[in-house]
Amino acid sequence: MNEIQISQDIITLAVIRSGIRLATPIILGALGFAICSRAGVLNFAIEGMMLFGAFAAIVAAFLLGNTYLGVVVAILAGGLIGAFFAAVYLKYRVDLVILALALNLFIAEMTVFFLRVVFGAFGSWSDPSIQQLPEINIPLLDQIPILGPLLSGHNIIVYTSWFASFALYVVLFHTRFGRHIRAVGENQSAAETVGIDVARVKIFVLILSGCLAALGGAFLSVGHLTLFTRDMTGGRGWLAVTASLFGLNHPIGVLFTGLFFGFADAFAVRLQTVTDIPPSLVQFLPNVAALVALVLVGARGKLREELARRRFRQRAQQEVAATVVTPAE
Amino acid sequence: MPAVEMQGITKYFASSQVLANDAVDLSVGQGEVHALVGENGAGKTTLMNILFGLTRPDRGTIRLNGTPVQIPHPNEAIRLGIGMVHQHFKLVPSFTVAQNILLGIEPSRYGLLDQRDENAAVKKLADEFGLPVDPAAVVGELSVGLQQRVEILKALQREARILILDEPTAVLTPQEARELFTVIRDLAKRGQTVIFITHKLLEVIEVADQVSVMRAGRMIGSKPVRETNLKEMARMMVGREVLLTVDKKPVEPGEIVLEVEHLLVAGVGGHTAISDLSFNVRAGEIVGIAGVSGNGQTELVDAITGLQPVDGGTIRLLRNEITNQPVGDRREQGMAHIPEDRLRTGLNLETNLDENVIVSRYREPEFQHYGLQDRAHIQKLAEWVVTQFSVASARPGEDIATLSGGNLQKVVLGRELSGSPKLIIANQPTRGLDVGSIEFVHRTLVDARDRGAAVLLISVELDEILALSDRILVLFRGRIAGEFQDEQATKEQLGILMAGGVIEEEAS
Repeated sequence: MNEIQISQDIITLAVIRSGIRLATPIILGALGFAICSRAGVLNFAIEGMMLFGAFAAIVAAFLLGNTYLGVVVAILAGGLIGAFFAAVYLKYRVDLVILALALNLFIAEMTVFFLRVVFGAFGSWSDPSIQQLPEINIPLLDQIPILGPLLSGHNIIVYTSWFASFALYVVLFHTRFGRHIRAVGENQSAAETVGIDVARVKIFVLILSGCLAALGGAFLSVGHLTLFTRDMTGGRGWLAVTASLFGLNHPIGVLFTGLFFGFADAFAVRLQTVTDIPPSLVQFLPNVAALVALVLVGARGKLREELARRRFRQRAQQEVAATVVTPAE
Repeated sequence: MPAVEMQGITKYFASSQVLANDAVDLSVGQGEVHALVGENGAGKTTLMNILFGLTRPDRGTIRLNGTPVQIPHPNEAIRLGIGMVHQHFKLVPSFTVAQNILLGIEPSRYGLLDQRDENAAVKKLADEFGLPVDPAAVVGELSVGLQQRVEILKALQREARILILDEPTAVLTPQEARELFTVIRDLAKRGQTVIFITHKLLEVIEVADQVSVMRAGRMIGSKPVRETNLKEMARMMVGREVLLTVDKKPVEPGEIVLEVEHLLVAGVGGHTAISDLSFNVRAGEIVGIAGVSGNGQTELVDAITGLQPVDGGTIRLLRNEITNQPVGDRREQGMAHIPEDRLRTGLNLETNLDENVIVSRYREPEFQHYGLQDRAHIQKLAEWVVTQFSVASARPGEDIATLSGGNLQKVVLGRELSGSPKLIIANQPTRGLDVGSIEFVHRTLVDARDRGAAVLLISVELDEILALSDRILVLFRGRIAGEFQDEQATKEQLGILMAGGVIEEEAS
């Protein structure tokens, strides 16, 4: 009785809607990481790319007076960062992890710097002229009870993240180019010897991941709020990396793991308002989920091996027991 | 008119200061099986890489069917009808057979792929050449022999008329090798030209029409196979007489050094790798374990050396139980291990000779000075290895990455034998080595045995097992399928047991 009462209170339509919204930047970042991983490129710069997208979107929306244009500029800016990443990685053979670290740190400080120099803002900045991305009601869908209110009435970036998951799935697994991407990721020299342009594939995935991550960032600054604060992504890029690993770098898997982290986040927020659990503990929840996810992914192979080994021992003991019994009969 | 004519091919690698090809001429006839033999580092692979467009020659001309061609890139080679099957396969493990064969040339409709079209295309190709494969099978789950077949089909799909095979049998079991030879002969009959690189001279006699021998970047000579013999080819290859058999004293086995009882080991994925296996090795004898690769050799060696946990049974070294002891303890008690993969397990190519030589013995007080490494002593040990094992071009304190396969194996041998071990586990000790180095490794193992060491030799090369072993055990599916004293064993008998057959007792 009591439990049901609590769960009704805690999980409301609003919480699920908020989970869907919070999942959006994670899904987009995770798709970016996943497509790079499929091509054998370790893109740990998702966090930086996302932050850059958030910054570019709000600045462009302010300067151009149109939020949609702001989003487009953010996507282009993310692509540019991806292209820069690709150029340095492919041309100068810089180690990917070091490059990503540098990029993340540089973008974090650069946004703070420009905020201060251009807008004179410390820490966070907003302008009343900036419009939030409008919510879009989908005809017909919004008529359906429960599903309608859940799935309809989100902004364009939310829908794009879902569409991108399915589109990337089709590209990766049902087109020539997607197959070439996976071939490059799994055995680069196999791809090279059949004449696939490996550099082209890597440049493409890095630009695309920049676009996706930056779009996720734009959602934060002009979709969810109309505000930019320093380090606005707050680790969402890293959560996206986790979601991608947890979803085994599969676009559809990533859609679900991203939603899972989004819900964990929304649930944590909700818990803070309806229970007395200390907020610091509750805010920790999504990170615990991420930690558990990473441990599961990491231990997957080992666990499978250990289980197989245990079965083998049991079987072997039975066999030995059987051979011992036989002569007595 | 020859299908391939290479003239005056010269290639100098400035980075390693090696003249890999020195005015090399090669002529290969249409529909011919042409063996290109030579020791490691003789320049065979460089010559073929030039023909396939992977390396650009400094000088020289290439003609295909009389027409001069430039081959700056593998794409051009493929366009000209040249296909190459590399020693390390260029396959994508998670892709199916069809996806691998059609990689880069996939048929697609509106950019979308159709699995059924692809499978049908590959099926047709496989039928046409009589090379059966399952187009929908995942390549990573296939045996090495079948993976190689996929590589050959990949070249044929691209309409290769000239097929280059780089050491195709190095990774194959004897049965798979025999199948490959049949395939090669069939292809030649259809008018395909096959060039295959090898240093196993028996294979040349078995399958080739013509043989070209290279040594130290030069072409020594080219002859029809029927006009030459093993001894002559070996002499051309090495530049001196080669002992094809190993002289050894009669065996005088001493006490039991290694004793394995009812050993049980799980393989990857929990299948049975070693099942209720018992045997022993005595001091002063070489026990050979014959068997097709994949019958539990790796797991057996890993269990004895402590690299893999044992699931049942006991292992004793000089009457001490070592079943669950760590590797270091086993080594301290006199175990030495020559691993099957010298590049990954045997050596660290990133570091220098000294560190590679000391890695198994750094704990010994002799090499320590108040808890720090004693450089002078370590260097002395490295010098000893270089001189005792005549490791050409290696010097103490210098990197080993540029050494040839034979010299690398000598470094491993030097390290493992330096502490006069009581038990030597030698797993595929001559894999991928040239004739000269094989001779050296064999000599070294026999010397160690004559000094009283117990040697456990695991090899998929039957000739090696027969040449060295005092006692032979045949491993089949994790069990011992038969045991022989050296003089009783014949190749035929071993071959039957290795394939899982039973030797029928002759009614005498």
